[in-house]
Amino acid sequence: MSSEPIQNRSKVLVVKTSLDGHWRGVSLVARALRDSGFEVILGGMLRPSQIARVASDEDVDLIGLNIGGRIEVVHRILDGLAEIGLSEVPVFCGGTVAPKGAEILRARGVEVYPPGTMLSVITEAALRLTK
Amino acid sequence: MARSEFHKLASSNLPKVITLKDGKNMDLSASGIPRKGIYGRNDVPDEWWNQLDSNSGEAPFIRGAYPDMYRSKLWRIFQLSGYGSPEDMNKRLKFLLNAGETGIIIKHDRMTDDHLYDVDNPEVSERREDVGLTGTVTVGLRDYQTIMDGIPIEKVYAKPGGGVPQSAPYTQACYWSVATSRGHKLSEISGTGQSDFFLTYLGCPCKEQIPPASALRFNLDIIEFCNEHMPKWVPVSVAGYNGADSGLNAVQELAFLFANAVEYLDGIKNRGKLEPKDFAHQIGGVNFRVAMDFFEEIAKLRVARKMWSDILRNRYGITDVKASRMRIHVVTAGSAMTYQEPMNNIVRGTIMAMAAALGGTQSLGVSGYDEALSIPSDHAHLMSIRIQQILQEETGLASVADPLGGSFYIESMCSELEKRAWEKFDEIQNQGGFLATVENGWLRTQASDEQRQHSRRIQDGNMKIVGVNAHLIDDPILQVDGFEGQSGDVTWQQAVDRLEDLRRTRDTKAAMRSLRELERVCLTNENIVPPVMAAVQADVSIGEIGHVFRSSFGVWDVSENEFGV
Repeated sequence: MSSEPIQNRSKVLVVKTSLDGHWRGVSLVARALRDSGFEVILGGMLRPSQIARVASDEDVDLIGLNIGGRIEVVHRILDGLAEIGLSEVPVFCGGTVAPKGAEILRARGVEVYPPGTMLSVITEAALRLTK
Repeated sequence: MARSEFHKLASSNLPKVITLKDGKNMDLSASGIPRKGIYGRNDVPDEWWNQLDSNSGEAPFIRGAYPDMYRSKLWRIFQLSGYGSPEDMNKRLKFLLNAGETGIIIKHDRMTDDHLYDVDNPEVSERREDVGLTGTVTVGLRDYQTIMDGIPIEKVYAKPGGGVPQSAPYTQACYWSVATSRGHKLSEISGTGQSDFFLTYLGCPCKEQIPPASALRFNLDIIEFCNEHMPKWVPVSVAGYNGADSGLNAVQELAFLFANAVEYLDGIKNRGKLEPKDFAHQIGGVNFRVAMDFFEEIAKLRVARKMWSDILRNRYGITDVKASRMRIHVVTAGSAMTYQEPMNNIVRGTIMAMAAALGGTQSLGVSGYDEALSIPSDHAHLMSIRIQQILQEETGLASVADPLGGSFYIESMCSELEKRAWEKFDEIQNQGGFLATVENGWLRTQASDEQRQHSRRIQDGNMKIVGVNAHLIDDPILQVDGFEGQSGDVTWQQAVDRLEDLRRTRDTKAAMRSLRELERVCLTNENIVPPVMAAVQADVSIGEIGHVFRSSFGVWDVSENEFGV
């Protein structure tokens, strides 16, 4: 990983989908994205119904969801984005997602990066998704 | 929502990376202590070596907390557990006790209990599928009666919830109230609280939680309450685990843990009601993380006991054995458990459990092999118990106290760890102590810098993790799926029904009266525990208590503190 920021003006919203407070993974990913030149907006524990609005207000190019176990909420977030015409904004996620849930999300076009994924894989995905 | 409400990640400030020789990871311990290929007597300073003459059970307790160690008492098998409804929780506890667990931990979900929200709060109902996910959901004391149904509360050693300070008065008040409702005296009940700062303000902050200074007040209140009424209860337990699994290395874990303990000791002392010699033993039950750096982790536990005994002697003039003997609970590192090829984690759990036993722990929880995927399945839970039983019964590990005592390598590592930990401890004290480093963000910076360095070592291959960045195979055959548990619409709806029932069937006047009394006490110096007990006994709901806490003490701004930037 280069410590020289790459020229990249894209904006990414990083947000947790649950009230589970484990920050370690989110923090590492957020910084890796920042170090790859992204402007990182930290959404903390926004309610699912607020995420689409913030994505719109902030005019983000990408949304990164940190999932705390269950994926049903991701469907509601995606539906919320579609409702305000943001279905084109790419969404990717990490966190605690069991293999079965990951399969379901991938089928809906959400890229999933489970624990143990190298950070370079995640930042490359972010760059590709915002090209 | 205004744009300015969002915290933007500041520009890059990369910590210095340690470059390792030849790309090998064996040159430095996990905390950065250089390691040689072989050790001899000359590698151990005399001042350390001379202290090894003291036996196990004698100050400074390097060799163990008790004279006969596991011959007189095996370590307690103490697994984190909980999911779904109170009925699910009750079933799982009975399953674990039947499998040979010797203490129970009641874990709650983060949606309700950690946050002290009612289940119909929009924060919860918008993500209702998480209700009952990481632990069981409760709406009030009645649910605790269900959790403990058929379990002899006077005989078990328990940790009822209360990981974070704001929820500790509530969960413990519920548990204790179950005991008194069955006719037991509080003085008969044994177990432990936690109320941990590392969990709350570093590892897993809630969205809304009381500020650190109020949390300290809660913890001191619980210590004083237990001092008076509950001699068999460990009121708070500083949990190095939560600091370490959030990034702190072994040196930092020791230093911050003892700085935290000193904050409690000084805090009670300054209140002027109790002398340190009368309550120090209440603070000497702590928890450490044991991760994969086998020898360093063993050394850490031996050093911890010495540091505690030294702090009590040098700072407070206490030499009494009961107080100076630190009791340790170990949890194996959840972060060491990989998502890839989860069955490998049974091996990792065994290795970490061995290190804990070799370091002389008094109780142990082994993370489930499915830790990275979900909460433990029945099978993963059983494996965590079986690992411990096999070590206790089949290996001879429990026969001799401190079997590694006198190892040149271990003793050298201990001596170096202690030196570095005291230096770090002084750095904390020089900033005004533990609470100051929570409030000024230094604790967080220390953890996050270390966390990044750890991550960097994995990314660049200096630290190898089998199945993750080493020895990968194309077609993994060891994958399992996560445990689905019972969280979701049904568990949430049942909880809503119970909450509505509670509101409908309680004596509303009595409930409101107790809530007003709690509100009054919050704004005084009186002890918080009695009015919380009275409130839960009057069927006040968890969210009503949370509301009083939030409006009385305010909310710590997590958005300014998250991510450690």
